Amino acid sequence: MTTASDDQSPRWLDVHLHLLDRQVLDVHGVPIAVVDDLELSEVPAGQEIPRDTSPPVITALLSGPALATRIFGGRPPESRMVRTPWIAVREVGVVIKLSVGRDTQDLSWTERWVRDHVIGRIPGGRHTPKGEHAQSNDRGGS
Amino acid sequence: MKRIFGLALGILTAIGGFVDIGDLVTNAVVGSRFGLSLAWTVVVGVIGICVFAQMSGRVAAVSGRATFELIRERLGPRLAVMNLGASFLINLMTLTAEIGGVALALQLVSSVNYLLWVPFAAIAVWLVIWRVKFQIMENVAGLVGLCLIGFAVGLFLLGPDWGQLGRQVLQEVSTSTEKASTYWFYAVALFGAAMTPYEVFFFSSGAVEEGWTTKDLAESRANVLVGFPLGGLLSLAIAGCAAVVLLPQLIGVTALSQVMLPVAMAGGKLLLALIILGIVAATAGAALETTLSAGYTIAQFLGWPWGKFRAPAQAARFHLLMIICLLVGIGTLMTGVDPIQVTEFSVVFSAVALPLTYLPILIVANDPEYMGEHVNGRVLNGAGLVYLVIILAAAIAAIPLMIITGAGQ
Repeated sequence: MTTASDDQSPRWLDVHLHLLDRQVLDVHGVPIAVVDDLELSEVPAGQEIPRDTSPPVITALLSGPALATRIFGGRPPESRMVRTPWIAVREVGVVIKLSVGRDTQDLSWTERWVRDHVIGRIPGGRHTPKGEHAQSNDRGGS
Repeated sequence: MKRIFGLALGILTAIGGFVDIGDLVTNAVVGSRFGLSLAWTVVVGVIGICVFAQMSGRVAAVSGRATFELIRERLGPRLAVMNLGASFLINLMTLTAEIGGVALALQLVSSVNYLLWVPFAAIAVWLVIWRVKFQIMENVAGLVGLCLIGFAVGLFLLGPDWGQLGRQVLQEVSTSTEKASTYWFYAVALFGAAMTPYEVFFFSSGAVEEGWTTKDLAESRANVLVGFPLGGLLSLAIAGCAAVVLLPQLIGVTALSQVMLPVAMAGGKLLLALIILGIVAATAGAALETTLSAGYTIAQFLGWPWGKFRAPAQAARFHLLMIICLLVGIGTLMTGVDPIQVTEFSVVFSAVALPLTYLPILIVANDPEYMGEHVNGRVLNGAGLVYLVIILAAAIAAIPLMIITGAGQ
């Protein structure tokens, strides 16, 4: 499968090697999820595919309870999966970087819930250790 | 001074691996039963952990990726979940044991039953994780833990017959009463303790916490080359003390107080106080290491934000998970289970976790996409492959040996 990056010739990506199980970082370099599954554009099932059809493309990265089904088989209900549209992907390197912030993402609702109802309420929970470098986890790249 | 502090991560990691509460006792047991005839396993283990910790630290410094992210990426979900389960149980059991260990050490000082100390020890560990800067945490726990050098001092003060100790190193089984299977059980246990997977989880995540980059590769190497051999040295000193004092008297080690007996004989109260301080710091350090490792592994596997460099609210699930682990630890200890025995069972899980942890590190350390020009050299790859074979052999042998020997009884 190929994807056109900004200006260069198409770059080959192996779904297993480069996309699945990769860490996803938001625009600020904060980890939000791991790619559990991918959503592809519709391939008609059970019909013969005409020769000149364009190959399916990745439409979204999926995260959610896909882990159990990837191990044991089956399919999780679509409503439980959280989609990150492929258009939000800025860069695929050793991590997948998005061009949006995590608060615009549904991916981290559990994180928000735990923050607002548990951790944020314990004294000192919103205190950033002083003098610590503002490390963004945003190094490396490809 | 800054140089010494720069090495704190390696020292703390090694202390948590080599002289945590289970290993303190295991080393003394081995010394009192086999003399120094198992010293070679510690040496083999030190070299092995140096090889892989060096790789994991380098990967973290160059690519900013900690070890468990790589494990899931390279092994896929199925094997990674097996590793996660085994590693997490090792972490949970070890952190339970370490909190018990802090409490046991405080009991020696205070004569208050250790169960009463358990909640305080756990809360102290949590407060450090909640509030204290990573660098301060590693400096204090690592450097105070170095008081365990008192065991080496004690060994010299005992004035042993060095020639005889040297001969023990070269013998296989030093006493005729011990079976070969027991000898090999302890060989595997010591090797497993030296290479226990939470060391690389903690070391690589610590490298990310400290924000190491390609510029810090020399520091990473220095941390590995100082920290782990130091840990191995402490472990040998404990075994040596037991071999000199307890082996000839046929005293079996069953409790922490017997571990310190040789030191008390050699150096009196002052050295004993130093050792107890060292044990409190080392077990507390190991508790911090394993608690954080429990958080690191799960958060990295599931892609959560993690790390002490973030405010707890910015890594909420990571912190909640560690709180739950500590509560489980307190609950387990309150049942009255012997903290030291808890660690013995973690050997079983090491059998699964060891190969599945070190293989992905070796793969990624060779991947130019991550490492650029800093991929492994041939020598390191050769050593890594040799050690994967040793690890696999130890992993396969661990469970049968444990059953045959009744965990070294």
